[in-house]
Amino acid sequence: MTIGLTHYLVVAAVMFVTGLFTMMTKRNAIGILIGVELVLNAATVNFVAFDRYLGPDRLDGQITAIFVIVLAAAEAALAVGICINVYKNLSTVDVDRANSLRG
Amino acid sequence: MAEHTLEIALAVGVLTPLFSFWALVFFGPKLGKPAAGWFGVVFGMGVPLACATYVLFGWLGAMEAGESAALTANAWRGTWAVLGDVPITIGVKLDSLTVAMYFMVTFIAFWIFFFSVGYMQGHSDEVAGQRKYWRFFAYLSLFGFSMLGLVVSSNLVFLFIFWELVGLCSYLLIGFYFDKPVPQHAQMKAFITNRVGDFGFLIGLMLVYFHLGTTDLDEAAAVFAQQAAAGTGIFASHFTMFGWSLATIMGVGLFCGAMGKSAQFPLHVWLPDAMAGPTPVSALIHAATMVAAGVYLVARVFRLMTPDALMFVSLIGCLTLTLMALIAVVQTDIKKCLAYSTLSQLGYMIFGLGSGAWIAALFHLITHAFFKAMMFLGSGQVIEGCHHEQDMRKMGGLWKKMPVTCITFLVGVLAIAGTGIPGTQIGLGGFFSKDEILAVSYARAFEWDDASKFEESGHGEGHGGEHADVSPPTKRVMLASDPVQHGDDHAQPTHAVLEAESHGAVGAASIFAYTPKLPKWMFYLALFTAYITPFYMMRAWWLTFMGKPRDDHVYEHAHESPMMYIPLAVLAVGTVFASYSLFRPLIADASIVGSAAPLVMAMAGDSHSHAPAIHVAHDFLKVGVGGAFLVGFLLAIAIYRNGLGLGEKLKRAFGPIHTLLDNKYYIDELYDLVFVKGFVLIANIARFVDTWIVDLLVNLFAAAAERFAAFCGLILDTHGVDGIVNGVAKSSRDFGHVVRLPQTGRVRHYVLAATGVATIVFLCVLWASREASDVALAAVSASLGN
Amino acid sequence: MNDMMHISARSFMRLVAAVGCVLLFSSRETIASDASGVTTAVAPGGLLEAGLFYFVALAAVVSSLGVCLSRDIVRMAVWLFGALGSVAVMYFLLAANFLGAIQLIVYAGGTLILLVFGVMLTSKSPWVKFQCPKIEMLLAGVICSALLGCLCIVLTEATWAGSMEVVPGASVKVIGQTLLTKYVVPFEVAGVLLMIVMVGAAHLARQED
Repeated sequence: MTIGLTHYLVVAAVMFVTGLFTMMTKRNAIGILIGVELVLNAATVNFVAFDRYLGPDRLDGQITAIFVIVLAAAEAALAVGICINVYKNLSTVDVDRANSLRG
Repeated sequence: MAEHTLEIALAVGVLTPLFSFWALVFFGPKLGKPAAGWFGVVFGMGVPLACATYVLFGWLGAMEAGESAALTANAWRGTWAVLGDVPITIGVKLDSLTVAMYFMVTFIAFWIFFFSVGYMQGHSDEVAGQRKYWRFFAYLSLFGFSMLGLVVSSNLVFLFIFWELVGLCSYLLIGFYFDKPVPQHAQMKAFITNRVGDFGFLIGLMLVYFHLGTTDLDEAAAVFAQQAAAGTGIFASHFTMFGWSLATIMGVGLFCGAMGKSAQFPLHVWLPDAMAGPTPVSALIHAATMVAAGVYLVARVFRLMTPDALMFVSLIGCLTLTLMALIAVVQTDIKKCLAYSTLSQLGYMIFGLGSGAWIAALFHLITHAFFKAMMFLGSGQVIEGCHHEQDMRKMGGLWKKMPVTCITFLVGVLAIAGTGIPGTQIGLGGFFSKDEILAVSYARAFEWDDASKFEESGHGEGHGGEHADVSPPTKRVMLASDPVQHGDDHAQPTHAVLEAESHGAVGAASIFAYTPKLPKWMFYLALFTAYITPFYMMRAWWLTFMGKPRDDHVYEHAHESPMMYIPLAVLAVGTVFASYSLFRPLIADASIVGSAAPLVMAMAGDSHSHAPAIHVAHDFLKVGVGGAFLVGFLLAIAIYRNGLGLGEKLKRAFGPIHTLLDNKYYIDELYDLVFVKGFVLIANIARFVDTWIVDLLVNLFAAAAERFAAFCGLILDTHGVDGIVNGVAKSSRDFGHVVRLPQTGRVRHYVLAATGVATIVFLCVLWASREASDVALAAVSASLGN
Repeated sequence: MNDMMHISARSFMRLVAAVGCVLLFSSRETIASDASGVTTAVAPGGLLEAGLFYFVALAAVVSSLGVCLSRDIVRMAVWLFGALGSVAVMYFLLAANFLGAIQLIVYAGGTLILLVFGVMLTSKSPWVKFQCPKIEMLLAGVICSALLGCLCIVLTEATWAGSMEVVPGASVKVIGQTLLTKYVVPFEVAGVLLMIVMVGAAHLARQED
């Protein structure tokens, strides 16, 4: 049984959807952040799999994956900073409480 | 002589005062009190006088050599701008008249500048609390520039520009002490009155521009003559007003400018008031030069005048000279007396021009400029010496205190009165110039009349005899252009004009056609005034200088200073000697070269003759005019010999007349009544109409509208419009509430919504491509099957 | 439910670790022999590799589900660690060795620790839970299931243009060369971005005066 591109993509899709589900159902800001990380990872897997199967000589997918990882790290750093600020101001990280901009 | 040397000298003379003006504007305050004045004397007029002298001698030399006509024809000019198809040329009008006027202006102005330095020494130069000594000379310099520019301009447009500039200078200088009410009002009066005249000038200028297609003086005259001969252009127009053709209106329009500037009868009111300015200004601008600019203008546009226009000119001149002389008789203010005398003399010039005495009028202009400037300076000296006293009744006996002024003033009086020995060539300026004007007007009044009678009778014997072969209608024209011996083509324009007019080819009969006796009456008036002039001038002189001192305070204070009497003496000498021998031939030359002065030449025979022919030809005039001064003088001396007593008695005896004259025929009051009060009346009527008719209607409408609005407000507004507005507002708010619902402010809801929508879109796409999916599924099943 | 998840997470981790190590070492030989073979155009994977993939895939899916289903934030972090590790192994399987290492170092070693720190700093009690309404949970489940279904349909039915040949994984050297030649501009921009993020994060997290 040959492991092909589709296998990897399906796994990535499952991760992606679970990431989304996490974002949708968690009220904890850090939880949402974890969901985002899952989504990003799913995307990265896609890139690497495409790189492996569609353009093995070009490395484009891998490089993109590296950038995604860099961005994810940066995003995580900022997001945690924001979470800490929210916590400072509201004494909680419940995103439902951070609704000052609500119309 | 190198080419254009004279033009360059003239231009330098024109531009130096402009330089002086700017220099004084910028550095005047630094130069201080006497220095700024001397700067003005040297650069404002000294240099121009040098240029003028150079030009005068250069020109006289050219005349000797017979080159003057060529110089005139080749005078420099260039195109300044092109308006439509009409080029506006800039250039120098170089002929004898220019040279004479230029020299006269610079000479007189120089000595008046000189006088001003002394005069302003004794006068306050504080204006509005600031020392403005330099300002006076800056304005004088600007005036010098404008006046000289006016004299040399070869183009009507530039003439007009400089014309307005001299008006501006006059305005500025009359109101030199602008922080005082009297000069302020005087300057505004002068300016506004001049605007009336300048409006006419502008109309005339537009007609010239439009119909003649050129504004150059010579070209315009040539075109005018051509059109007159051919009956085209302005002569083709059938527009008439008061029976005047358009060509006549053009001439009258141009003359209106002169009426304003030379203060002719209906517009004369500003000149006496203008005496509120400093005395040198009165002497320079309001006696010698600027007011003569009107006469100069008429002389320059003489060739654009139709006979009707000339008749109008002479009528206005005649009215002015008579009415103003009568006012001068009752004046007690020395400057006012001189001002009315100036008006009267200007009237003589205008009258002379209108009568065709072109040479005599301009000659009178120049002689008058000399002696009137001198007399004004003399009056300035007297006023200065008498502690700013201007009332002649308080003077008297001043000859002991100011002998030079006394004698020079007397020279002026003699000159203006036309003193001389009839039948000889011994006499002062006015003796020749004024008498010549009278002679020409006599000729026109009587000879023309005779000529037209002759014409009607249809006899072949013409006045000149040699024109027997021409047809009767052109007879009087040929009479006018009689001196064919000068071999001058330029005589033709007027010839053609007169011909066209006399044929009746253009326009309807003029209003003057019904008054054939008018020239005669005008002559009688002018002759009568010739007796008045010596009277009031001698009266002024006698009251001021002779008799016993009537006011000790004034007498004690009286003195004269060399700074001020040197110019007086120079001008007196000029009055006595320079005028006849120098200027008369010059102007006569200009007349031959530049324009036709047909009547003059017709009557005076050889225009170079030193004796006006009239003195020889008509014994009646010889005695009647020539001896006029004696009658006037003796009468004045007889009345005022013993002070004011007899004068007062006469005043009482002629009470109403005196009152009329003293109030200047109530013309100011009339203007006040007609223009000011009339305006107020119209305003009041308008206000009445406004208040009682317009406002009433408006209020009525307003009330109706109010009622209607109240009704509408109840029904429509409250229930209709408000309902709509509130309904819209309410529905917006409700809609907002609905729209607001999904905006929960919770991140997960947004993610949910975004994902949900994306999924739905995804499903839709899949659904849309289910055909392809079926194929793919078929392929998958096939592979599975394998 | 919670406790069950907790227990399963721990035991699952152990299982993964044990099986993963065995498979990894077995497959390494396969890959190595493939790489040193006469022809490089070897079809991917033998049975061992396939087994390894399925194992890792299972681990990733279970970990992801664990992340989304656990209510405790700390457990979520632990499940995330599992998911990230699985992905790293997948990178190895995809011959992206460098990326696998990066994944482990940056994600497992950096980002995850950061998150755990965040959890610790922001909760009075780390175990505090915020519940989401059941209705939303249900809706999210429906939507996510639908999306997953769509994705699976598309992925399985798609025909990919590329070859299925497998070449030896790119070395770190090649990646470094590519990064500093073809991708030098994004590389530098990423550097700048990281610096900005560093400053921004420091600013955000600083002590308020």
